[in-house]
Amino acid sequence: MIEALRKKAEELLKNKTVDVVYGYGEGSVPERTRPVFITKPEDVNKLTWNKYCVYNLTTYLKKQESRKLGKPAIVVKGCDAKTITVLIKESQIKREDIYIIGVTCTGIGDPPATKCKACDVNTPLIYDELIGEKIGNKEFSFEERYAELDEYEKLSEQEKWDFWQKQFEKCIKCYACSSICPLCFCDRCIVDKNQPQWIDPSAHPRGNLSWNVTRAYHLAGRCINCEECQRVCPADIPLNLLNKKLAKETEKNFKYRSGYNVDDELAMATYKEDDNQDFIK
Amino acid sequence: MEKTLKKEKLNSLITGLKDKGYKTIAPKKDNNLITLCEIQEADEIHFDHVQTNNSIKEYFLPKTEKILSYTIEKTKVSIEEPEGFAVKSVVFGSRPCDAASLPIMDKVFNWDCTDKFWIERREAITIVTIACDKCDSYCFCTSVCLAPDAKQGSDVLLTKISDDEYLVETETEKGEGLIKELETVFSEPPSGTPDRQVATVEKKFEIDKVKPWLDENFVHKIWAEFSTKCIGCGACTFVCPTCHCFDIVDECTMSKGDRVKNWDGCQFKMFTLHTSGHNPRSTQDQRWRQRIMHKFKYYVEKFDNILCVGCGRCSRVCPADMNISEMLEIISTDEGQPEPVSKE
Repeated sequence: MIEALRKKAEELLKNKTVDVVYGYGEGSVPERTRPVFITKPEDVNKLTWNKYCVYNLTTYLKKQESRKLGKPAIVVKGCDAKTITVLIKESQIKREDIYIIGVTCTGIGDPPATKCKACDVNTPLIYDELIGEKIGNKEFSFEERYAELDEYEKLSEQEKWDFWQKQFEKCIKCYACSSICPLCFCDRCIVDKNQPQWIDPSAHPRGNLSWNVTRAYHLAGRCINCEECQRVCPADIPLNLLNKKLAKETEKNFKYRSGYNVDDELAMATYKEDDNQDFIK
Repeated sequence: MEKTLKKEKLNSLITGLKDKGYKTIAPKKDNNLITLCEIQEADEIHFDHVQTNNSIKEYFLPKTEKILSYTIEKTKVSIEEPEGFAVKSVVFGSRPCDAASLPIMDKVFNWDCTDKFWIERREAITIVTIACDKCDSYCFCTSVCLAPDAKQGSDVLLTKISDDEYLVETETEKGEGLIKELETVFSEPPSGTPDRQVATVEKKFEIDKVKPWLDENFVHKIWAEFSTKCIGCGACTFVCPTCHCFDIVDECTMSKGDRVKNWDGCQFKMFTLHTSGHNPRSTQDQRWRQRIMHKFKYYVEKFDNILCVGCGRCSRVCPADMNISEMLEIISTDEGQPEPVSKE
């Protein structure tokens, strides 16, 4: 698989189909990989593929530093590829401006990440070139898809509140969660605006609650469950639990799952007169 | 002064500290994190780790703190200053690198403006360090003139000499005072040379070669090559025991408010954004360069200290696997001619 990946990258760079390949390279320890940006065909050997390729590299589509390297080919797993669908839908990128190298994936991380348990995109849904043998994508029921919420949903309202108070207390406001998120692409985040100050920048209970809840809400109906926010959180806050809960509510209320089909209308950006508004109380 | 502390006496130590009016801060396990936090019982203390996730910094420079409150009336402004922020405490079981960060930062907090919050806490808190008996590949204290059993910044240094015993060495009068206060907990020093169990931390780069390179290479393509993967969050600066930048904000209504001091970091693009819209550090490579320059050039020139203790936290938490010692290794081995090296 690695050889096929390198060969494809070399071909794309040699033919000048793209200027740069965003891929995975060896990390500082064997249990890590790191994002690499390959611009020369002779450097393709720096590309790798293994179970530690956790990154959702589409986040580099929003960064000026990587974008100025030119037209990218980007290595994506099935989960990451869903981001591209959303970015196209939200007019952040044009399909023709990127080359998608999809890789088939049977789970990443050691132990495998939570998102891999009910993965229905082992083979990416969108790609220009597929690396690895095509795997028939599984189907899961609504309940199976959101099984990780079972324990959480058993909690009472008060218990949920206490749970999040305790979790958010740990937040240090480093904004790794939003910096890593490929769908947090606003050039100026609401948290950066101080006239008026919508969100207290202080890492005190009020500031932490308003930040973390706002971050999650801005991803409602958009988050594709790559779990990158949770992975990078230095305070070990289970951020994806929030994202997942909002995804579940979106699916329940709008029959919409983010990132699956480029022809679907966006849940939060489409006006319909017969919209189900019952959930707004 | 030399003593020994048996592990079985830990309970008496922690109870003793409580009785003498000390708050105890020690490493404690909470899910996937090992956190320096307030503890009540000796059983809560976690020993078997390389490093705590949070640094000692937050007990001297908290992530957020009110520095004053104000009320604006028609003809006057009244100001109320906070009190009681410096609580008599012992940090027990922090690592030598964390302790070493404190005297380094004393220099900046006693510089042009003396920071009473830092200074009063420094007086109120006693540091009891445990020398590292293990390390990981992110540790590089020995590359920045420290060691897994460095004494800088510690009032008391504990070094493991057997599975259930520590050698206790006092480094300051404050440390000596603490040991005397709790005399009965400690035993007499062992006869002969004790077997100090100290980790071997591999030296990764020659620090002497770093600053001369930085002096010459403010403009260099390596800054961008190395930092393309940087996502521009503040995780590295916030977990760092020596990063000390902060921002002051007013949280207020029209008539009253709190002035609050919050951690801030040079990796955020907003950090240097001017009101005019101009940003002197508008790209991530400039911000990454600033992090390295501040730690290994500017602070050295101003305060004669490297602003890094080699704890490795920044590299452990980096969402994109940016590794600071790798950057310094590249710098210290780069001849600068003709093609700058890159590990990218």
